[in-house]
Amino acid sequence: MEILKLNHIFKIYGDKVQHSALQDINLTIEKGEFVGIMGPSGSGKTTLLNVISTIDPPSSGEVLLNGENPYKLDNSKLALFRRRKLGFVFQDFNLIDTLTIGENIVLPLTLDGQKVSTMDRKLKEVAARLNIENILKKRTYEVSGGQAQRAAIARAIIHSPLLLLADEPTGNLDSKAAKDVMELFEEINRETGVTTLMVTHDAKSASYCHRVIFIKDGQFFNEIHRGDSRRKFYQQILDVLSLLGGEANDLSAICL
Amino acid sequence: MTFQQFAFNNVKRNKRVYLAYFLSSVFTIMVFFSFAVNLFHPVIASKSGGAIEIIMGQTEVAILVFSFFFVLISVNAFLKVRSKEFGVLMMLGMSQKQLRRLIFLENMIIGCLAIIVGITIGLVFSKFFLMLLSSILSYGSLSFYFPYKAILLTTAFFILIFLSISALTPFIIRTSNIITLLKGAKRPNREIKFSLIQSIAGVLLFGLGYFMALSPQLYDISPLLDKIVLFFENIQYAEAILTTSVVIGTYLFYSQLSILLLNRLKRNRSFYLHKTNMLWVSDLIYRIRDNTRMLFLVTILSAVAFIAVTGVYALSSVVKDESLKDNPFALTYTSYSSYVNEQEQINRIEEMLESHGFQYEKYKSEVIKQVSDDKRVTHIIKQSDYNNRASALGLEQVVLDKDQALLVPVYVRFDPKRDKTLSQKNVALDNGEINLEVAGVAPRVIFYSGLFPNLVVVSDETYKKLTSIQEKYYSYSYDIPDWLNTLEVTEKLREELGVGEHGKYFWSTRIEGYILENQNKKLFLYVGFFLGAIFFLGASSFLYFRLYTDLNQEKNKYIGISKLGFSFKEMKKVASVQIAVLFFVPYILASIHTYFAINVLQTVLYSSVIKQFLVVIGVFLILNIIYYFSVRSRYINYLKRLIVQ
Repeated sequence: MEILKLNHIFKIYGDKVQHSALQDINLTIEKGEFVGIMGPSGSGKTTLLNVISTIDPPSSGEVLLNGENPYKLDNSKLALFRRRKLGFVFQDFNLIDTLTIGENIVLPLTLDGQKVSTMDRKLKEVAARLNIENILKKRTYEVSGGQAQRAAIARAIIHSPLLLLADEPTGNLDSKAAKDVMELFEEINRETGVTTLMVTHDAKSASYCHRVIFIKDGQFFNEIHRGDSRRKFYQQILDVLSLLGGEANDLSAICL
Repeated sequence: MTFQQFAFNNVKRNKRVYLAYFLSSVFTIMVFFSFAVNLFHPVIASKSGGAIEIIMGQTEVAILVFSFFFVLISVNAFLKVRSKEFGVLMMLGMSQKQLRRLIFLENMIIGCLAIIVGITIGLVFSKFFLMLLSSILSYGSLSFYFPYKAILLTTAFFILIFLSISALTPFIIRTSNIITLLKGAKRPNREIKFSLIQSIAGVLLFGLGYFMALSPQLYDISPLLDKIVLFFENIQYAEAILTTSVVIGTYLFYSQLSILLLNRLKRNRSFYLHKTNMLWVSDLIYRIRDNTRMLFLVTILSAVAFIAVTGVYALSSVVKDESLKDNPFALTYTSYSSYVNEQEQINRIEEMLESHGFQYEKYKSEVIKQVSDDKRVTHIIKQSDYNNRASALGLEQVVLDKDQALLVPVYVRFDPKRDKTLSQKNVALDNGEINLEVAGVAPRVIFYSGLFPNLVVVSDETYKKLTSIQEKYYSYSYDIPDWLNTLEVTEKLREELGVGEHGKYFWSTRIEGYILENQNKKLFLYVGFFLGAIFFLGASSFLYFRLYTDLNQEKNKYIGISKLGFSFKEMKKVASVQIAVLFFVPYILASIHTYFAINVLQTVLYSSVIKQFLVVIGVFLILNIIYYFSVRSRYINYLKRLIVQ
């Protein structure tokens, strides 16, 4: 079943001096897939993710999430759509500082007006899965970056979204925490079957995906699938990155 | 966690941010409530329609209007800081309706708490305020009552304010673009330019405003200057032009002139490149530009506060001077020459004065009223009577020829140089049969302010020749050295004589005017003090909010420069200089504005109020310094925590 389908997406910025951030992007993601998007700085990765996140309408083309075009919904329905169908993980976690970790995690359910008993049950489940039960009462500034990102992931999946979107989820973490977080993504994807789309700079993180899509200058560049070995996949990703040209050094520097 | 709990947690755990806002709201509500308690007091309410009700009522309105803007601006500042948070929430699927509800709930939590606390504190202090008011109004004692009307009014109005601000929030934060919200308040730092023309316009507007304020004092220095002064005086709505030009000038000062001055500093390389100077100067340019509106607002609010407090303070301290000028004599009785009981009443007054142990000097004058064919009224007094009064008042004696006349002002606030009614060269009496040349103008009122308009002194010889007599008065003025204690005797006399009867007699005392003026002015002091306090507190709160709002951006900068090897001490210095500029530049500018405004007041009062001005400015300076140090220490503590990490 197709969870996400992009048809001929264009995104053009500016009025007088036009700059096209995305040109004719086509993409299909099936249910249960774990897909990575890579590309050098300014290649349009984030724009693409924003378009998929329903917060940046494309200039032309069609976004279908579960067969539905979210940009045809009015504002309040769109909010509902995001609340129920999508889960977001950000580079800088974006936890709300005034809430505890536990409260942050149940926030999507709060917005949806669900029963407190439901919230408690789901929080228990998700915290156990992510192994963060002991920090639920803490405030955001009392936990480490890795823990904060785990909490953010918990928040993104507590409502069992259709599609989990992650924007450089390991960008602010050290390599140990990044590894843990990526393993967590992989595990969640495997066990709950949540379709996951991740934008990343980091070849190591990308190597956890089933499939990695490369874009350059707003256009589709290449796509590679993971075989049995993650190490081999990692090597393949590095090869494509070097093919991407001048920025290859810049990218390999980041993944070291 | 339910949605309500979510909103509640936001407020509860953000105490540091909301505290200043909350306290200022509480203070404003408390003052509003206290005034309402006074206003609805049965005794005051029963005297409706009087000056007290009007003054207090207008104060209520002023507090209300101020509160509205205060809440609006504060909420605005808080929402801007939180734009990233709102972006995240909307990503998580919060609808615009829910966002509005969140802000509404948060506002109402703070608002309701502030109303409850404000009214409670107000109730605790209401007895005290009632005592204060009753001593001001000399009403004996205003008893305590349960002010349910005041509670209702305060609650209703402030809930309305918080509600309407909540309704305005969608206009404050644009929820339609989540991406901009997520990027937060970070603005790309562009090069800051200034317009030379606008800077010059700013200087000119300041100059114009200040010149207009000073112009009455610049008269009589040079003929050219006099013409300019007179030109300005003849402009209609001069006060409005003056105020507008200073207000616009203030805005241009922050938006253009300050940048120009700082750029000058930048060009002075030996200064600019010296130690931390580069850091604070370059940063200040951005800060001032980003905070133009806030600095402008703080300056205007402070100026209003300073002017209000200086004004009422000056008014209340010159009240004795003023009554002395209004009533040169402690008591003046005037009767129409046809009134038969004149002598009887005079005897009664003197008996009363004597029985109460007052010493007095009596001065009697005769005044003739003439009405010419063209309905011009002139009052005439003879030279000997004038000299009699003049000696009592310490004025120069005059000697007039038979064809000479001396003009006497009728109001205290006359300006001998420019008053048109006193600038005539000739006086015609007896319908033009007697023509006199004006020999001069008396320096002061000789009866009391307002009595006998167009008063002319003529020689005794000419006086005898007057034929056209519309009316003749006998006026007795009493000089009583101990006049401040004459209220009791005056009240007794009022019981017997009343206020007078048209066509028979009338009388006026200095003590009554003094008491009335004193009461009004004390009331003004009472009101002005509170308004000044509220406005100043509001202005200071805005500064605090802004510093807090900027802190998020600033902290990254400080972390960055600490990595470059800046010591904490140097950072402290940079932060101190910047906060000092934000605190004291508006204060200094507001003080200058106040100085010129007080000059305008001075021409009306005819007494020097510089002493009062200095006292008020000094008190506010101390408050400002205390506030500066407490904000600075909090700010620096916060920075310290950041850097140590």
